[in-house]
Amino acid sequence: MSATAVVHETRDVPQPRQHGKPGGFLRHTSIVTGLVSGIVLAVVTYAIGSHFFVPWGTQNADFTQVGLNALIAATYFAWVIGFMAGIGALAGPIRWALGHDLTHDDAEYMAGKGQGKWRYWKYTTDHKVVGIQYLVMSMVLLGFGGFLAMLIRTELGATWTEVFDPNFYNSIIGTHGIVMIIALIIVVTGPFGNFILPIMIGARDMAFPRLNALSFWLLFAAVPPLASNLLLGGIRDGWTVYQPLGTQAPIGMVGYQVTIIIFAFSTGVASVNLITTSVTMRARGMTWNRVPVFVIGVIASSIMGLVWFPMFQYSQILALSDKVINTSFYNPVHGGSVWLYENLFWLLGHPEVYVVIIPGTAALMELMVVFLRKPLFSYKVAVAGFAGVVAISSIVWVHHMYMTGWAPSSGYPFMLSTELISIPFGFLVLVMLGTLWRGKPWTRLPMMCVYAVIWDKVVGGITGVYLSDVPVDQYMHGSMFVVAHFHYMLMGAGLFAAIGATAYWFPKMTGRMLNERVASTGFWTAFFGFQLTFMSMFVAGLQGMPRRVLQFDNAFNISNWLSTIGAYIIGIGMLIFLYAIITSWRHGTIASSNPWGGKTLEWQTETPVPLENFPVLPVVTGDPYDYGVPDPYGPIPVEDTREPAVTR
Amino acid sequence: MSIDNPPTVEVDEPEEPTNRPRPDHELRAWLSRGYVRKILALTIVFVLVIVPIAWLVIHFMNLSGAPASAIMVEIERTMFVFTLVSSPLMAITLAILVYSLVGWGRVSGDEPPMQESPAIRTNGRAVVIWIAATSILAGFLVVWGLIELATITAYANGSTPPNQQPHAARAIDINVTGQQWLWTFQYPDQGNIQASTLVVPVNVPLYFNVTSKDVVHDFWVVELGVKIDANPGAITNTGVTPDKLGTFNIRCAELCGLHHAYMETQIKVVTQDQFDAWVRDMGGKRTV
Repeated sequence: MSATAVVHETRDVPQPRQHGKPGGFLRHTSIVTGLVSGIVLAVVTYAIGSHFFVPWGTQNADFTQVGLNALIAATYFAWVIGFMAGIGALAGPIRWALGHDLTHDDAEYMAGKGQGKWRYWKYTTDHKVVGIQYLVMSMVLLGFGGFLAMLIRTELGATWTEVFDPNFYNSIIGTHGIVMIIALIIVVTGPFGNFILPIMIGARDMAFPRLNALSFWLLFAAVPPLASNLLLGGIRDGWTVYQPLGTQAPIGMVGYQVTIIIFAFSTGVASVNLITTSVTMRARGMTWNRVPVFVIGVIASSIMGLVWFPMFQYSQILALSDKVINTSFYNPVHGGSVWLYENLFWLLGHPEVYVVIIPGTAALMELMVVFLRKPLFSYKVAVAGFAGVVAISSIVWVHHMYMTGWAPSSGYPFMLSTELISIPFGFLVLVMLGTLWRGKPWTRLPMMCVYAVIWDKVVGGITGVYLSDVPVDQYMHGSMFVVAHFHYMLMGAGLFAAIGATAYWFPKMTGRMLNERVASTGFWTAFFGFQLTFMSMFVAGLQGMPRRVLQFDNAFNISNWLSTIGAYIIGIGMLIFLYAIITSWRHGTIASSNPWGGKTLEWQTETPVPLENFPVLPVVTGDPYDYGVPDPYGPIPVEDTREPAVTR
Repeated sequence: MSIDNPPTVEVDEPEEPTNRPRPDHELRAWLSRGYVRKILALTIVFVLVIVPIAWLVIHFMNLSGAPASAIMVEIERTMFVFTLVSSPLMAITLAILVYSLVGWGRVSGDEPPMQESPAIRTNGRAVVIWIAATSILAGFLVVWGLIELATITAYANGSTPPNQQPHAARAIDINVTGQQWLWTFQYPDQGNIQASTLVVPVNVPLYFNVTSKDVVHDFWVVELGVKIDANPGAITNTGVTPDKLGTFNIRCAELCGLHHAYMETQIKVVTQDQFDAWVRDMGGKRTV
């Protein structure tokens, strides 16, 4: 670390004048000031707004709900703005406006230098801090969403009675869905994209460190409006919130729309940052054919997020406008269209699945070479696979709308594009199978996750091929079969890949080894519970059980009971895994800097990683997959043919 | 090959070329390797395990009743064919997974393993074969799907399967209206009678005009393979010709609020005489 300071001082750059102590205003801000300022501004807005908005709403029968919605929306936005201002997000722009530049000491203070653990609770720009913040945040969201999943399965398991009020049940379905979607979008690119990726490419930090902090704290600010919906009537419409059902909803629905609008900003900022970092900040010598495949995966995922997330945001801005100023974008009574919403929503809705799956898959490719001591099979095919999925994923969204009656003949082209996406997706399977081919696996937990995920991906992929077919979809659409299919993709391939990535990078991120005995017990318990839950759910779907119901025919009893038992097993397994994470993080054995013998750059720096990652920036001279011994069956290497010539 | 062997190698050495398998022997040599044979054997075993699933899928779909229309027959046929066609790919993937865990050896322990695996960077032939195989498979599924979609669209419009006579009777229009949380069926051709249970004659094409009074519903006639959204402010169309007598399920397949789960009713497929009697009872006109 002292070495990096020297590097900076030897550069003869004129430093701006230091105003006060390093950090300035940011010395006084933290999550505490953020919460206080956010809550105060929200309460003030609510108090003032209730004098203006609510009477405005009562003037007209059509507007009864509108005033309340506007009041709640204003309160939520006030919370977000107040929180962001309170934690210091506006300090940078204000400083610019005043003409004060950051000094080097200011930048180091903002990166968390010398603040100990407290830096995790501040507007800290260090990418490693942001990575840990994302890791904890995604685990909190997954825990919350998982708890709601347990409630859903409890209701569906006890067929003889209704456990929950139908309104509350519909609310937990919607909240489970959207919380899990948000959690899975961030679960790989958040922790590992932020913590690992800059080190992996040999950079000192992200390209835009302050935007990095902004992306995390925007996400943090977006969660309370979403969580509070359960107290304000709930999201009763599934995570898709089809209109006009959404406009009938109670005021809690506004929380969903505010959350999506803010979360889309967070994702956009994070995507720009990740892409720019990967493109411009790579170490000297890291040409595009030497970039680790995880970086390619994160770029692919960020491109999709950057291009398609705005569609989701627009769809919710229009929906919010329908709610708070009584426009009629989606209200057919006044000339709106429900299909407009469905199109805007699914324009993100489908690429979103690949936003989740691709970075997880790339992380598994990254780690499997280490545990097999073998190069990645066909790096170029992997890159082509990612590129193909990104390209085709943007032209498949209508397969969610086969049965909506919107442009019935669109089934033909979109069935074509949807089934074509299985070809680049197959590239990724080929790369993983080819890497397994003739390798001796080192059977640690990260490697075992690869096997688990390939199985889930095959099941999810093949059931996805059924659903891409319009005639089959005519039976399956809106049934439990769909639910089981996307859980195989999002949870089986997405979440379990994230677990593998967590187990792999845990030593680097926390400085301690994961207690693998406990963690594996938890993982395999969850894995087998998962198979039981969703295999049974496939059967329920084949039998014709619609999704998002809280009561059903006796014919579906057995499959639902099994599904509920499986869900509880998943819950137990996840709790065991969480226990392993928490205890290992606190008391685990200290990890060496390269416990797996990896060759990518993040394993070449010390653990814990110093503030600017590398004492001296590395220069890359080879590709990261330089494992393995000459293949006796392969083409005869140059050395072998020369050798006899020399001996003779 | 030519790039790997620089011209410094003396080509007039007689032993040199014989060390390399000739191209026509390569496949045989590859197949003679133990692990290749075992993986192929495992693949065959897995295919034999997966293929019965095709029947199992159909069995589950038929638990509440056998297909009651030509559309549903086509849907089940597609499920069946897709399961069969995708079984080899699934089987070979699983075979490699299983063999990788048990066949090529494993390493355990806390320290990174010292012995490295063969440095296989890529294999042009394997890549080409894989891409060709998956493309052919995907191409087959696309073509099958397009043909099937055209077929069920024709059935929905009242066509009959090629081995059957065209329907003698005129199609019956039925206006389906979804509202929170019930279905209403109106028969404009039969004097606008209304019912909450759908009663239809067998072997007569039905033509549904589906709409909604409030939010999006989805009209799903399970055993007949009919599904279409009921949208407010728009009419969507679909159709079917029931070819089996009996009572089947109608469900709502799109979350529509509080009592979505209870938004179900039944379709009674009866003979033409029973249907005419029912229409009389309901106070409507007889079908012409």
